[in-house]
Amino acid sequence: MRIRDMNGSEKRRPVFFNLMQIQMPVGALTSITHRVTGIFLAISVPFGIYLLDLSLQDPQSYAQVISLFDKLTFRAAAIVFVWALAHHLLAGIRHLLSDIDIGSQLPAARRSAWVVNLGGIAVALLALGALL
Amino acid sequence: MGHVDFVDATRLAAVPIKATRQEATMHFSIFRYNPERDEKPYMQDFHVDLEPTERMLLDAILRIRDFQDDSLTLRKSCREGVCGSDAININGRNGLACITPVRELKEPVELRPLPSFPVIRDLVVDMTQFFKQYHSIKPYLINDEPAPEKERLQSPEDRDKLDGSYECILCACCTSQCPSSWWNPDKFVGPAGLLQAYRFISDSRDRATQERLDDLHDPYRLFRCRTIMNCTEVCPKGLSPSRAIERIRLKMLKVEDDHGGLGIHRVPAIR
Amino acid sequence: MRKTFTGLRAWLIQRVSAVYMLLFIVFILAHFVGDPPHSYAAWNGWMMGSSVSMATAVFFAALLAHAWVGVRDVIMDYVHPVAFRVWALALLGIGLTAMGVWVMWILWMRHG
Repeated sequence: MRIRDMNGSEKRRPVFFNLMQIQMPVGALTSITHRVTGIFLAISVPFGIYLLDLSLQDPQSYAQVISLFDKLTFRAAAIVFVWALAHHLLAGIRHLLSDIDIGSQLPAARRSAWVVNLGGIAVALLALGALL
Repeated sequence: MGHVDFVDATRLAAVPIKATRQEATMHFSIFRYNPERDEKPYMQDFHVDLEPTERMLLDAILRIRDFQDDSLTLRKSCREGVCGSDAININGRNGLACITPVRELKEPVELRPLPSFPVIRDLVVDMTQFFKQYHSIKPYLINDEPAPEKERLQSPEDRDKLDGSYECILCACCTSQCPSSWWNPDKFVGPAGLLQAYRFISDSRDRATQERLDDLHDPYRLFRCRTIMNCTEVCPKGLSPSRAIERIRLKMLKVEDDHGGLGIHRVPAIR
Repeated sequence: MRKTFTGLRAWLIQRVSAVYMLLFIVFILAHFVGDPPHSYAAWNGWMMGSSVSMATAVFFAALLAHAWVGVRDVIMDYVHPVAFRVWALALLGIGLTAMGVWVMWILWMRHG
């Protein structure tokens, strides 16, 4: 909204919008991570399809895909992928239940947000244990 | 000297109030902006010796204004949490200053205007966009049937369906804490508007239910909501706009509900 | 906005595709834990069996529809100039369609 200051020149009204100074409740953290993991998963889709293609082509390229798991960088990426998928999936289930009015009141919603946030990390740790 | 069996009023009167209620010196950091003087906003520090009778944040702000800096500008009216005028951002979380106990707040207490709304001056924000969205959902009963002799009757069960939505005081704590409202304030109706839309959609006396639902059909007006639930977190009246929005979606899908009203939850304390 | 993707329809597509994918992922995990394939022949044979490849094709259709609604939401939230938004959505649509074609080709062609 434009206003005029003392000199008669136009200026806009400022806003308070510093995200570092605005509180983020636990559900908001779940939500933004749900979005970020979603973008990450969407970007991984072409890579996933490529690996699927390779693994189905012939025995040599199948072996190639299996041998990828020997690379540390690939294993690290796989763990990040597993975390992203786990968080996105758990947050998604939380959304689906909320849609049918299960856990949509504040106290339950806060608890389920914690479960999602920690659950994703727990699954990632399991993957870490399995892949190391 | 015997044991005293009765209350000695004169002796009680001599007991200093300090012993029964806390005095406190508190440190506040308040957002200041005067469009006629300032290029941009800044934070100003204040230290206040609170009287024991000053228990709410609004009391502290008014004490600052009355004794230290009378240019400090804010909106306030009822001082009891029903008018919604003094909604501000307190230590990062929106709330009503008049019903926020001040001594529990982490210091320095940081007071800022509601996020994302244009600041007119200090803690006063421009609520035009907020009310525009509210009016856009037609917040009035639409019923063209001939008026009955007395009132349009409503059963107690039907009246219960309005619980949890009619109590909204339009303070804007929810909408100014909603990320979807931040990104699209002109297209997304926002939690307060949608809660009121739900209030009229669930009113048995209203005859425009389908029109109201159709009005919210496009990808922006309701469907920007991602159920982040910041709205429900900060509502100072304990209401759940996020739940109302979920119910509207189910109504759009013609899923029948006899849920009754939306619940009211205990408001989390601001620290 | 194309009538096909009004708010309600897009939201419903996102939810339905999510449920299908959830069931499919559980099914896949159960198979990999219970009866993991040990060779190319086992993997290809199982994957290309008619019911699994059909279910997988549906999975990818669901995945691409779900990704369309999700990424479109992100674009609608953050990209405000109309021209940029239209282009971003168009690129998204083209990208997802291309991947759909690719996956269908793989499931059709890669019999071992």
